[in-house]
Amino acid sequence: MPERPLNRICYVEDDEDIQRIVRMSLERIGKMTVELVTDPMVAIGAITSFKPDLVMLDWMMPGMDGPTLFRKMKQLPEVSALPVVFITAKATQRDMDELIALGAAGTISKPFYPKDLPDQLRAIWAKLP
Amino acid sequence: MNTLANGIESAEPGAAAAITADIRDRADPALVRADRVEQLYSQLPLGMAATIVIGVIAAMELHEGRLLELVLFWGGLLAVVVVLHALLYLGYRNDSQRHENTGQWLRWLGIGAFAAGATWGFAAAVFFPSHADERQVFLAFLLAGVISGGIPMYAASWPVFAAYAAAIALPFTYVLATFGNRLFAEIALLIPLFYGVSVAIAFRLNGVFLSGYRLRHAYQRQLVELQEARRQIEASGRKLALFAERAPIAVLELDADGVVQDVNQAAELLFGYAADELIGHSVKRLVQPKHHGDFERDWASLMTTRAPLAGVKVRNPRRDGINVVCEWSVTPLVNAEGRMLSVIAQGRDITAQLEAERMKKEFTSTLSHELRTPLTSIIGSLQLINAGVLGEIPKDVTELTEVAERNGQRLLDLINDILDIEKIESGKLKLMPEVIRVDELVREAILLNKGFGDRFKVRYQARGELLTREVTADRKRLLQVMTNLLSNAAKFSPEGEVVEISTEEVPQGLRVGVHDRGPGIPEGFRARIFGRFSQADSTTSRQKGGTGLGLAICKRLVEMMHGHIGFQDRDGGGTTFWFELPRHA
Repeated sequence: MPERPLNRICYVEDDEDIQRIVRMSLERIGKMTVELVTDPMVAIGAITSFKPDLVMLDWMMPGMDGPTLFRKMKQLPEVSALPVVFITAKATQRDMDELIALGAAGTISKPFYPKDLPDQLRAIWAKLP
Repeated sequence: MNTLANGIESAEPGAAAAITADIRDRADPALVRADRVEQLYSQLPLGMAATIVIGVIAAMELHEGRLLELVLFWGGLLAVVVVLHALLYLGYRNDSQRHENTGQWLRWLGIGAFAAGATWGFAAAVFFPSHADERQVFLAFLLAGVISGGIPMYAASWPVFAAYAAAIALPFTYVLATFGNRLFAEIALLIPLFYGVSVAIAFRLNGVFLSGYRLRHAYQRQLVELQEARRQIEASGRKLALFAERAPIAVLELDADGVVQDVNQAAELLFGYAADELIGHSVKRLVQPKHHGDFERDWASLMTTRAPLAGVKVRNPRRDGINVVCEWSVTPLVNAEGRMLSVIAQGRDITAQLEAERMKKEFTSTLSHELRTPLTSIIGSLQLINAGVLGEIPKDVTELTEVAERNGQRLLDLINDILDIEKIESGKLKLMPEVIRVDELVREAILLNKGFGDRFKVRYQARGELLTREVTADRKRLLQVMTNLLSNAAKFSPEGEVVEISTEEVPQGLRVGVHDRGPGIPEGFRARIFGRFSQADSTTSRQKGGTGLGLAICKRLVEMMHGHIGFQDRDGGGTTFWFELPRHA
């Protein structure tokens, strides 16, 4: 378990409605700092400058999907160590298992419950080495 | 081919007796008898002619002595016998039912033969003692002649001959024995011997005739059967050819080297080749060149095992280069001697089916994503409002947002349940079994559903000590079953009640029971409670929520985990829903 509490979250998601809900949930209930990224193509730059504790990735996005972005991150030393949580409506259990095997910290399936989301993320955070 | 092989096997030495018995059994006894009677009657004209000739000669010879009146009387008697025989013969010939009335005609013939014999016997009795030596020799010669002439006449029925000959020999023997002459007395002793020998010969001949007739009938029947068999073979051959020719599936006959021997029309249409372009060429023409190596290996293994294959999916290139996916059944035809005759390959074009399956999968996946994403926003927004994230909100507003959140959740449950059912029924749901302690499972389920129970003011509580035994099951799916049963129990329990959860050992394994104090299951609903979209009445879903799929999913999930699910009335009112899972070994 990391020594410091989970605070800075970067969320890459193309749906602005969901962005709004996640921001409200994490900021107001979870008391965290949230950086939202709408375009996955610029995500790596945003992540590098924001320096989050944890990155949340949507699965289905125009331009580049979550898993592709995740693999890209893995190749870049400055972001490769960041824990990544997938949040998705589509993935099958097998897809999720595959992502975990690739090094994803966890998966949260849509629909998630904004009331529970901060706790879910903290639970994943707590299990990290 | 087996029949063929069996036929060959049965023709080994020692089977001759069996064949004889077979021939005997095959011949219809009534037909054989009709043949014998026919044979007897067909001899009659010859017999009558011989009787007239011999009678005239005898009369001329005998009347030279004394007793002219007696000779005339005897001649008249003989004439009457001949006329009666002629009438008998005509009667027989004109009887259209003669082959059915064989017993009657045989009886009349026997009577006729006896009468004829008696007429000759009369001659012996009357004329022998009255004549001198040389005429006695003539008479003895004559009588021996008519007796022996009777053998071929009546060979088809030895009892008829026996009656005929006895009628001649008995009076003659009597005359000889009583003549008072030692030589004649000795001859009288010999006559019964001759008689016996003659009857024995007639008996043997009778047997020969019988087997001859039987053989003829057996042969006839065999011929009829052979013709029928040939007709059937031709018919089934035509049918088979028609099956292959008109079948909507491609049928190819290949030899042991994989060279096409024959194809049907469906194969021509499916692959776009004319029959001539395929016949005589290797079937590899229908295999993608990059897979020729695999094909040769599979073919060699087929030639070794000679075991039929089914459900082999192959991507086959058509003449125009487009690939079709076919499902093949491949059957080597091996004859009784173990020689490979040919290989029959039957292929069904499943390209469209695979495409439909792919589209269905895509549709389900899209449905899942496209419906869940907006619901996430809707339910999420409402939940944030209802959770008080935005501060105090007027009561009548939250009343409505709570209605909206609850119904959004209901819609989501329905989508999830439909997707679950679809996944289970299409066999796509894969379980991930793990070893689970039953008490831990129950506690986790109680914890997970506490919030739901609170909504209905119902408390979940374990009954007594929970078992610490283990089962092998998919944790997530088993929790889904528990959640379904617990939420049903809460929905139907009166406010303030306790829903009890029990664990117990049963012969089939471990049983988990969920006991409620609800109104019980209506009689008319019991049979379809585990069916799809079943709820006791349609108002229930509006009042209590739920999709009507929950128990159907539970049943399928529990059965996939090799368990059973059921329910029973509870003493003191209410219902117990239970499921049983096999104990972890």
